[in-house]
Amino acid sequence: MSDWATYTLADFLMFSPRVYFRLIERYNQALWPLQLVFIAGALAVLVPAALHPSRVRIAVPSIFALAWGFCAWQFLWMRYASINWAMSYAAAAFFIQTGLLVLTALLAREPASVGGLRRYGGIGLAVFGLLAYPFIALLAGRSPASAETFGMMPDPTVATTLGAMLMVGRRTLWLLLPIPIIWCAYSGLTLWAMEDPGALAPFAVVVATLVFVAARR
Amino acid sequence: MIITRRAVVQGLGFAVSLPLMPRLTRGQPADLITKPIPRSGEPMPVVGLGTWITFNVGDDPVLKDECAAVIAAFFEGGGRMIDSSPMYGSSQPTIGHGLRKLDYPERLFSAEKVWISDPAGGAAQIEASRGYWGVGKFDLVQVHNLVSWEEHLPALFDMKAAGQLRYVGITTSEGRRHREIERVMASQPIDFVQITYNVLDREPEDRILPLAREKGIAVIVNRPFRQGDLIRQFEDAPLPDWVAETGARNWAQFLLKFIISHPAVTCAIPATTRVDHVRENLDAARGTLPDETMRRRMVDYVEAL
Ligand SMILES: NC(=O)c1ccc[n+]([C@@H]2O[C@H](COP(=O)([O-])OP(=O)(O)OC[C@H]3O[C@@H](n4cnc5c(N)ncnc54)[C@H](OP(=O)(O)O)[C@@H]3O)[C@@H](O)[C@H]2O)c1
Repeated sequence: MSDWATYTLADFLMFSPRVYFRLIERYNQALWPLQLVFIAGALAVLVPAALHPSRVRIAVPSIFALAWGFCAWQFLWMRYASINWAMSYAAAAFFIQTGLLVLTALLAREPASVGGLRRYGGIGLAVFGLLAYPFIALLAGRSPASAETFGMMPDPTVATTLGAMLMVGRRTLWLLLPIPIIWCAYSGLTLWAMEDPGALAPFAVVVATLVFVAARR
Repeated sequence: MIITRRAVVQGLGFAVSLPLMPRLTRGQPADLITKPIPRSGEPMPVVGLGTWITFNVGDDPVLKDECAAVIAAFFEGGGRMIDSSPMYGSSQPTIGHGLRKLDYPERLFSAEKVWISDPAGGAAQIEASRGYWGVGKFDLVQVHNLVSWEEHLPALFDMKAAGQLRYVGITTSEGRRHREIERVMASQPIDFVQITYNVLDREPEDRILPLAREKGIAVIVNRPFRQGDLIRQFEDAPLPDWVAETGARNWAQFLLKFIISHPAVTCAIPATTRVDHVRENLDAARGTLPDETMRRRMVDYVEAL
């Protein structure tokens, strides 16, 4: 029997759910009410973007670059990496994504035309990431202090970014997909190993994104 | 930490004084069952403390203090060996936090690992681990999961010769790569081997444990509870009353007594986040150990569940 066949998902989990969710709670408490600032900032850019996609070519990727950079630095690097050594690599990947988003902002030209399904799907995904994600903690039976919000935590940041990119129709969309999708898979498996019902969310985000990307119109 | 006269006296205390004295109250280290490390004869209490997951608490002050309380109860109860690895996230600094609070108990037997595929990085990694624990030197350094063992072992033997550590070992778990472990045991002058062994995972009885006896290698048993699964699996079943004569009062102690009663096993290293559990686990090293007949009965009982 190959060595790998003897491993289960739980063998890769190196911390307990209690430690993980307390880490998020303490992070949220330390930085409150920055969560609201991030959400308000994203709404301030995304609402106009949904109405007039061409007007906010630079602002959209910029706020996302800020969110990715912040959450890579403050959450992945400064906090999560203390209980999960793999997070130094994840932080690096998030900084690369930050760079890609900055590049997208700089190279912003006329957005590609977006079909209805992709556009509305993108709006739905962005709304989910921004406004629904914080309530997943409650649905999963956790303390509201462990709520995950845009800009603070990776999962809602990824969901909102993917939604926004679908919505505004970037020609460079393909460039922005790999890191978020790999992250969602990793995060979903981690939550799954912790038997947290919130595991469904990152998987749903990946499936929705792929469906909307495949929908040409 | 080097072996101290006190540790020797305390360790020998069991063999010498127990038959003469009334049972000591709990927390008296001398009443813990010990076994000698074959290479040196140094007595080792048969229950140690693991740190995978349980001590990986980051910089959470509440959880760090909970772990420190577990460490304090461990030493108070007579424990010696704490096992960790650079793979275990923040467990090493958590151990350091607990040890500092206790002003570094003399009884400590520090068991660390080297876990890096680039052999050139071994020494620096051990040094970093030492910094996290805050100890002068490690008692035991093991090659974790056989990673680059061909290169790490000679380096560890050199460190041992130079007095920078006291024992050298190698580890695996969950039955992985046992043939290779046997080859290392047969061909290398290692002092310790660490494997998984419990009432359901008994494959080591066939070759590894006899080989350890033959070669004079101490055996550390990891995952005594299959990371808690065995206790969850059995806890609804009644504890057979015939184990009471060994002093076992619960499933954790049943499982530990089975492991540590194997003649080749030096100690088991259950991990826990709880003070009551660490006490319970240490109590498995009190009373008596099952004999061969009872060991067979334990296997039959558990397999029938
Ligand atoms: N390859 C390697 O080198 C390797 C591999 C695996 C393990 N190890 C070492 O071996 C150590 C032990 O293995 P492990 O941590 O995987 O698993 P384990 O010791 O078999 O089980 C630990 C679990 O058992 C529970 N537990 C402990 N005492 C208990 C009691 N008295 N009653 C009820 N539950 C109890 C703990 O939960 P509570 O916190 O609730 O008590 C914890 O979740 C590790 O920590 C590590 O140091 C080494």
